[in-house]
Amino acid sequence: MPTNKPTGAQLVISTLKALGVDVLFGYPGGAIMPIYDALAGSGLRHILVRHEQGASFAADSYARATGRVGVCMATSGPGATNLITGIANAYMDSVPVVFITGQVATHLMGTDGFQEVDFLGLTLPVVKHSWLVRDAAQIPAILARAFAIAKEGRPGPVLVDIPKDVAASFVEASEMGELPAWTPPAPKAESIDAARALIEQAQKPLLYIGGGVHMADADAEMRDFVERTGIPFVSTLKGLGTVSTYHDLHLGMLGMHGTRAGNMAVQATDLLIAVGARFDDRATGKLSAFAPHAKVIHFDIDPAEFHKNRRADVAILGDLKQALPALQPKMPDISEWVKFNKTNKWQHRFKYDAPGKGVYAPGLLKSLSEKAGKKFIVACDVGQHQMWVAQHCEFEQNLAHLTSGGSGAMGYGLPAGMGAKLGLPDHHVVTVSGDGSFMMNIQEMATLRRYGINLKIVLLDNSSLGLVRQWQELFYEENYSEIDLSDNPDFVEVAKAFGLSAFRITQRHEVEGAIDRLLAADAPTLLHVLIDPRENVWPLVPPGASNAEMMEERWDEPIDSY
Amino acid sequence: MSQSIHIEIDRLEGTLLRVLGLIERRGFHIDQIDMYDLGADTRGLSVTVRPRDAGRNIDILGLQIDRLYGIKRLEHAPERAQNAEPSAEKLSA
Repeated sequence: MPTNKPTGAQLVISTLKALGVDVLFGYPGGAIMPIYDALAGSGLRHILVRHEQGASFAADSYARATGRVGVCMATSGPGATNLITGIANAYMDSVPVVFITGQVATHLMGTDGFQEVDFLGLTLPVVKHSWLVRDAAQIPAILARAFAIAKEGRPGPVLVDIPKDVAASFVEASEMGELPAWTPPAPKAESIDAARALIEQAQKPLLYIGGGVHMADADAEMRDFVERTGIPFVSTLKGLGTVSTYHDLHLGMLGMHGTRAGNMAVQATDLLIAVGARFDDRATGKLSAFAPHAKVIHFDIDPAEFHKNRRADVAILGDLKQALPALQPKMPDISEWVKFNKTNKWQHRFKYDAPGKGVYAPGLLKSLSEKAGKKFIVACDVGQHQMWVAQHCEFEQNLAHLTSGGSGAMGYGLPAGMGAKLGLPDHHVVTVSGDGSFMMNIQEMATLRRYGINLKIVLLDNSSLGLVRQWQELFYEENYSEIDLSDNPDFVEVAKAFGLSAFRITQRHEVEGAIDRLLAADAPTLLHVLIDPRENVWPLVPPGASNAEMMEERWDEPIDSY
Repeated sequence: MSQSIHIEIDRLEGTLLRVLGLIERRGFHIDQIDMYDLGADTRGLSVTVRPRDAGRNIDILGLQIDRLYGIKRLEHAPERAQNAEPSAEKLSA
C-alpha cells in the first residue's frame, strides 16, 4: 500500500548516504530484495560482483586503501555464508567493514525456511559486534552505531542482519540520532615515563612495527619517532611501509619468512618496542625463544593484547597519535648497535642473480616495484608469491601493501585489487596472485570488465600449491599430497574470454618489457608468468623453531624456463 | 583451578552467546553458569571457568570479555595483569 512513510529498506539507503558512503559491494537475492529495490536510482554506487566472497574482500581492501569504512551487502543463507571468509579476514586484520545481510522474514526465522541460516550466530566469533534488526525504526541508529563501532578503537567488521519483512515495513522516518563521540584514550604519563626510562637505559633498542600503526592513522608519528630516535626497526607483514621500506634503518620483515637481518636484530635486542603489533606466531616463531634478551614496551589500543603472548614490561594503552609524540627519550649512544644491524642488512641482502634462464619471481617483483613508482599499490593473494612480495617489493606507505595477513585467505588478491583501485583510482594497482589463489575468485574478472576497473594482474604460475608443496618437500619427506595444479586452464585465454587483455612470458629476458607493457596498458590486463615449480621462499624458519634458526636458499640448480 | 567471573550484560540478541562462546574459544571450560535479572535491560551472569591448559590466562580472558559490546560491567573482574592499563570506558552498544 503506497504511503508517504519510508520503508526500512529506504532507511538503509538514506542512512548509508547520510554516513557518506560512496561505493558499496554486493550481490542481491531474495531476502535482501527490498533493500536492492530501494538502492535502484538512489545515487549510491553499487559494484555487482560475481560471488559474495569477492564483495567481502573488495569492501575490505577498499577500507584498507582509503581509511574509510567498507560496505558490503548480500542476501540470506548461502549469500551470507559466502561472506564469512571475508568477515573473518577483516576481523583478523582489524579492518572496518559493515556487512549488511538480508534475513528471512521474522515469522519464518527458526522454521528452517528457504535460504535461512542463523547468520548472527554463525558470525559471532569473527565480528566486532552484530545486530539482528527487529524494528525498522531502529535502522538509522543501528547503522550509524555500526559504522562507529567498526572504526573506533581497534577497528573490525560489524554485521547488521535485516529480516525481509523488517526491510519492507513502513515506519515513521527516524534519525540516526546523536552518536556519543568516541575519543581514543590518552596514554598515561607514568607509562610514557616508564617507557622513556627503558629506552634511555637500552643499548640495543629495536622497534617492532605492526599494522596497528596505520589503522591508528599514526604513520606520520611513527616516522617522526624513527627519525628522532634513530632506532632500527623491523616490520610485520601488515606493518610494511608504515615507515618506508627504503629507510636505511629498516631491517625488513621479521618472522617465518623475514629477513636474516631482521630476525638477527630481534634475537639480539635488549629492548623490543612493539607498536601496534600483537606477537603473532608467524612473527615470533618459538615464543619462548623470541627476543630472549629483551625487555618489552608494548603500545596498543586493545588492552586485551597486552601480555597475551608476551609479557610487557611497560604496556601503553592509548592513541598512538598522542603516545608516540609524547615519548621523547634522550637517546643513549646506540651507534654500535645501528652499525651491527646495517652490516647485517648489507651482508644478508637478497640476491637476484639466480642461475638459469627462467623467470626468477623475486627478481620480477623487485623490477615491478621499481618500475611502478611511488603510487604503487599491490594486492596480494596468499602463498609463496605473497611472501615474495613482502620480501622483494618496496613500499613508500603502508596502504601500498594489501595482504591477507592474519587470516591468510586465498582468493583475496583479485577482489582486493578491485576494491583498492575503486578507492584510489589514480594509483597503479597491481594484483599479484598465484595459480591456486587466482582460481578461487577468478570470476571477478567479469567485474573488472563490466566497470572498466583498470587493475593489472601478475599471475605467478608454478602449476602447484607452492607453499604447501614447499612444506611437503621440507617437512614431509617430499610426500607431495594433492598440490599438483598442472592441469590449470590456459589463463591467457580465460582472461581474454572475460574481456581482459592478457599475455604470457616464460623467460627471464622478457620480464622488463612485460612489466613496461603491463603498467602502460589502459585497460585491465593480466600478465601470466610461468615460473619454476621447484622455486621456494627463503629464508624460512621451520615450524616450532626459533627465529634464529633460519633455513637459507641454496642455488644448487638453475631456475628453469617453463 | 576454577574461578568465577561476574558480568552484567544487556538483553540484546546474541550477547549471552557472545560471552559464552568467547570463554570456550579462548580455552576455558565452563563449569557452572548462573543467570539472574537485574532489571528490564540487564542480566547478571556468574560463570565459573577453568583453563584448559597452563597457557590460558584468566586476566586476559577478562579483558577479552570486557571489550565485547553489550558488556555493562565486569564485577569482581580478575585482577588486571601487572602493568596493564585499564581499558577505556566503553559506550554501551
